[in-house]
Amino acid sequence: MKFLPLIWAGIWRKPGRAILTLLSVANAFLLFGILQGFASGLNHAVAQTHADVLLTFSRVSQVEPLPLSHVDQIRTVPGVRAATPLIPLIATYRTPTQIVPADGVDPKQILAVDPGLVIPQSMINALANTRTGALVGRNMATRYGWKVGDRVPLRALQIQNRDGSQTWPVDIVGIFTSKGGTLFANAMLVNFDYIDEGRASGGGTANVFFVRVDDPNRAAQVAAGIDRLFANSPNETKTATVRQIAQDQIKQLGDIGFVINAIVGAVFFALLFSVGALMMQSVRERTPELAVLKTLGFTDRGLMGLILSESLIFCVVSAAVGLGLAALLFPVARRTIGFDVQAGPLMLAGLGLAVALALISGLPPAIRAMHLEVVDALAGR
Amino acid sequence: MAAVVSLKHVIKCYRRGRQVLEVLHNLDLEVEAGEFLALMGPSGSGKTTLLNLIGGLDQPTEGEVVVAGEDIDRLSGGELARWRSRHVGFVFQFYNLMPTLSAERNVELPLLLTPLSAAQRKQSVDAALALVGLTDWRKHRPNELSGGQQQRVAIARAIVADPTLLVCDEPTGDLDRQTAEDVLGFLQQLNRTQGKTIIMVTHDPKAASFASRIVNLDKGALVPAPAMASV
Repeated sequence: MKFLPLIWAGIWRKPGRAILTLLSVANAFLLFGILQGFASGLNHAVAQTHADVLLTFSRVSQVEPLPLSHVDQIRTVPGVRAATPLIPLIATYRTPTQIVPADGVDPKQILAVDPGLVIPQSMINALANTRTGALVGRNMATRYGWKVGDRVPLRALQIQNRDGSQTWPVDIVGIFTSKGGTLFANAMLVNFDYIDEGRASGGGTANVFFVRVDDPNRAAQVAAGIDRLFANSPNETKTATVRQIAQDQIKQLGDIGFVINAIVGAVFFALLFSVGALMMQSVRERTPELAVLKTLGFTDRGLMGLILSESLIFCVVSAAVGLGLAALLFPVARRTIGFDVQAGPLMLAGLGLAVALALISGLPPAIRAMHLEVVDALAGR
Repeated sequence: MAAVVSLKHVIKCYRRGRQVLEVLHNLDLEVEAGEFLALMGPSGSGKTTLLNLIGGLDQPTEGEVVVAGEDIDRLSGGELARWRSRHVGFVFQFYNLMPTLSAERNVELPLLLTPLSAAQRKQSVDAALALVGLTDWRKHRPNELSGGQQQRVAIARAIVADPTLLVCDEPTGDLDRQTAEDVLGFLQQLNRTQGKTIIMVTHDPKAASFASRIVNLDKGALVPAPAMASV
């Protein structure tokens, strides 16, 4: 600790240069925090999905409708606890950018199907008893300023109402707060029958069936059993766990982990040179001062330790600034894209990276300082 | 009096490209405890080289250098650094203060290498700054001080750890005459009242007259001069 003023003074010898470098390092760590936060949020979201919830789609494509009668047959498959059909009603609210993902579901089955959904039975009953009823998550209600009793005119993007319009008025009958892992955290739940019976075409079908199994370890067998049930029929199915589907969808975007690591790697590779050049220039400028320290009795290793400490403190402080800014953005990410970033491990990884950056970039100037010939340096040679 | 510095048959050579240059030739010198020795000589005569050997900044090519009872030509780099921190205080022509540190932080530097507590270090720094008359300037950085004040901070830094020996390389070379005389007077007072052994390199006969003994160095060989009367 007693060397801290000396180290601190060394860092701020040229304040302008130090601040600019600090900003560039902080910026890199901000980028690291956001990108890694995005990746960790995706992984966390996948990890939070339940292994005992299956989705059954048409084997042809996920948008191809399946007969509603499938749901009764699915419920007969051994190991199935509950099942519900679902119609995704992608709609907008007042402006085209106010997207409302509304899902038509069976209110009597939805709690049994989604273990992550925590909704009081009274709300479920209210939904079941109100044909145009809707339950919305707390985040969505807050975003649009909705409260129970409000009538909300949704404008569907694809499903046309039987009256020829795209408008689907719904009445808010409950606002729920879900725990992690539900697929409906940022969705609106409406009655399946309201959508199915009210649409101009496609009645009696569903795009997907939600299935809950008794034992998550037997999810694969149950999924295979469901698909076998409809094999060689005009409406063959493809069933998988929510986790598997989420992983497949992420894979379709590309190897996100690789892309993020490549970007972060390139940024930090450039940063190595930037911080390394700063430290080297700083040591070169201070050659007479470092020689004086040696004259006063600082050993070669002591001087090396001073320079490495400078590099370490500079990088860790800069990283803390960048990661701190990234942490401020995590709640925004949680609100907007529903990702729950695991900040703790991310911060630790970032600080570890800062230490590595400091040691690698600080080592060459530290070695130079260590090998300084005091007599030559004092003589200006 | 016992010799604080004893050089026997010291030869110092430097390699300049393919050439080997002998700067000091078979040199013998003894400096007793409490002496104020002025080393004089023309440029290139080897004064600073000799001072570097005595101060443990450099090692002889041949011969023996014993300072404060230690055969320092046999010490490793690390041992020599630790020995310097205990036994030698340095004062340079251009002060060589840390520009980013305040006067008190500059003076504290040698004490960072000691096991003293923060309170003890502060006490020693206060005493050293009071001795050079800069208590009120303790928070100022070198660029806020005059040349004479900077040199006094350098002297405070040199004496704060109470070294056996004070080594001064042209300490007044960058000062005007009046300020130079003030600094030299202070060194002389330090020598007389505290018995501090001082070895000073200078070109200036006036500066040398503040010393108790003058030694002339010419082309790497010592030419002893008679002891000076007190100024």
